[in-house]
Amino acid sequence: MPVRLAELEQRRVAALLSGGAASPEGIEPRRAVSYLWCRIPVGLLGGGALFLLAAGGWTVASGLSHWLAGHDVDGMAPSWPVAGYLLTAGLLLLFLDLAGLAAVAELERWLICRFLSPDEMTRMRRRIDELAASRSGIVEAVDAERRRIERDLHDGLQQRLIVVAMLLGRARRKNSEELFRQAQTEAEQALEELRQVAWRVYPASLDQLGLREALAVDAERSPIPVHISGDLTQRPTPAIETAAYFAVREALTNSAKHAGATRIEVAMSQDTDVVRVSVRDDGRGGADPAGPGLAGLARRIAALDGRLTVDSPLGGPTQVVAELPCG
Amino acid sequence: MRLMIAEDSALLRAGLVRLLVDEGHKVTAAVGDADALLAAVAAGPPDVIVVDVRMPPSHTDEGLRAALRLRSEHPQVGVLVLSQYVEPRYAAELLAADTRGVGYLLKDRVGRVEEFLSALERVHGGGTVFDPEVVRRLLARTRHTDDLDLLTDRERIVLTLMAQGCTNAAIAQQLFISRSAVEKHTNAVFDKLRLPRDDSTNRRVLAVLRFLGG
Repeated sequence: MPVRLAELEQRRVAALLSGGAASPEGIEPRRAVSYLWCRIPVGLLGGGALFLLAAGGWTVASGLSHWLAGHDVDGMAPSWPVAGYLLTAGLLLLFLDLAGLAAVAELERWLICRFLSPDEMTRMRRRIDELAASRSGIVEAVDAERRRIERDLHDGLQQRLIVVAMLLGRARRKNSEELFRQAQTEAEQALEELRQVAWRVYPASLDQLGLREALAVDAERSPIPVHISGDLTQRPTPAIETAAYFAVREALTNSAKHAGATRIEVAMSQDTDVVRVSVRDDGRGGADPAGPGLAGLARRIAALDGRLTVDSPLGGPTQVVAELPCG
Repeated sequence: MRLMIAEDSALLRAGLVRLLVDEGHKVTAAVGDADALLAAVAAGPPDVIVVDVRMPPSHTDEGLRAALRLRSEHPQVGVLVLSQYVEPRYAAELLAADTRGVGYLLKDRVGRVEEFLSALERVHGGGTVFDPEVVRRLLARTRHTDDLDLLTDRERIVLTLMAQGCTNAAIAQQLFISRSAVEKHTNAVFDKLRLPRDDSTNRRVLAVLRFLGG
């Protein structure tokens, strides 16, 4: 019961006086009771101030109506000096009363803050939990990335090089010009593959030319038309830039692979302290934020105190937004 | 001979088919995953199967599992396993069941066309083929120092060649010594590794497994 009351109070203060918001842990009953006890004098004080305001209003209204009806008020006939004196006194009292009300509101906010908001310890504990989770998330994300690189090297490049060696072996046996030529073509293909694998591991131009340029290269290579709009007003730190880049690329890969999209929109923007990149496709939707790619990405972004939101209703469209702090 | 290929890289699969057809073999099936391979073998077993260890869906050891299953279901079919890396444990599993007509090669070995083709022939003929790299790695290990240290350099080389699936005749040829000298060496190896002398076990394979088994 005290907790319910305290919650109601908290909502009232948040709505009327823009006080402290509720904490996810809820309110401790013990603290709720202390709050309610302290709330009584503050409430009486507020009530008193409001009563004085009403009384002042009433006095002014009744005094004026007496004078206008031609009666005296407290034996004083209406005259400019008297009116001036009363007006000055009345305004001074009004100011004091309003100041009192403001102070009561401030007290209310302070009480909520003191008793019902999470204390320093709880806030710290929550932050530590967040950090621990994001730290292990980052380790997982790095491992997943390594596995992907290993697969990338073997599934593409190694097979191609074996084919080159095989063609050369056959060419030697048969002494066939044609097979030598094929081997050369395959070797050139393998080089191209190597370039692409290296790019997938880390796009070198990201460091030199920045996010937009690096994404432009991926847009050119994408089988689906990609349209990039917006830009960042200033370059964020490399960590933020890299995370934003991989967020977009993961989303592009997903759109191309799973969504059956025909067009992808990439938008970039920057406020004073947030870099925002979003990828929107017109595919069939139904992307799973818990899937390995997106989950790994979310962990990586969480580790930088950022946020990844995936909105992908069945039937599309899918929108993936990454917000990263850059303050 | 009639061959089947299970390899998930379409590029390499096509290359293998071309190579083998070029050499006059018949490729009755070329598939990209283990289930398709099992189905193809059920429809008509070939002479030899070439199978990649890592295949979809999980890209771990599906190919090897399929190979082991085929070994037990169709013992007359030779199996040559290709592996991305040297995985002694896989080699050991393959050899543990039955060593006739089985081989384990590093994938890169396919590039050496002559070696690959002769490995196929050996497996087809019921022999055992072991990648030289596997053997080199195992001999480099010092896990069995107690037994291994007893071997002379000559015996070590003989064991290496033996593990690659060479017959005594082939070893004699390679080392330019007589066959009886080879037999003397192999017997010395068996004795030093304390392998039983009876007809129920193949001591040549046990000698190699001794390195693998840890």
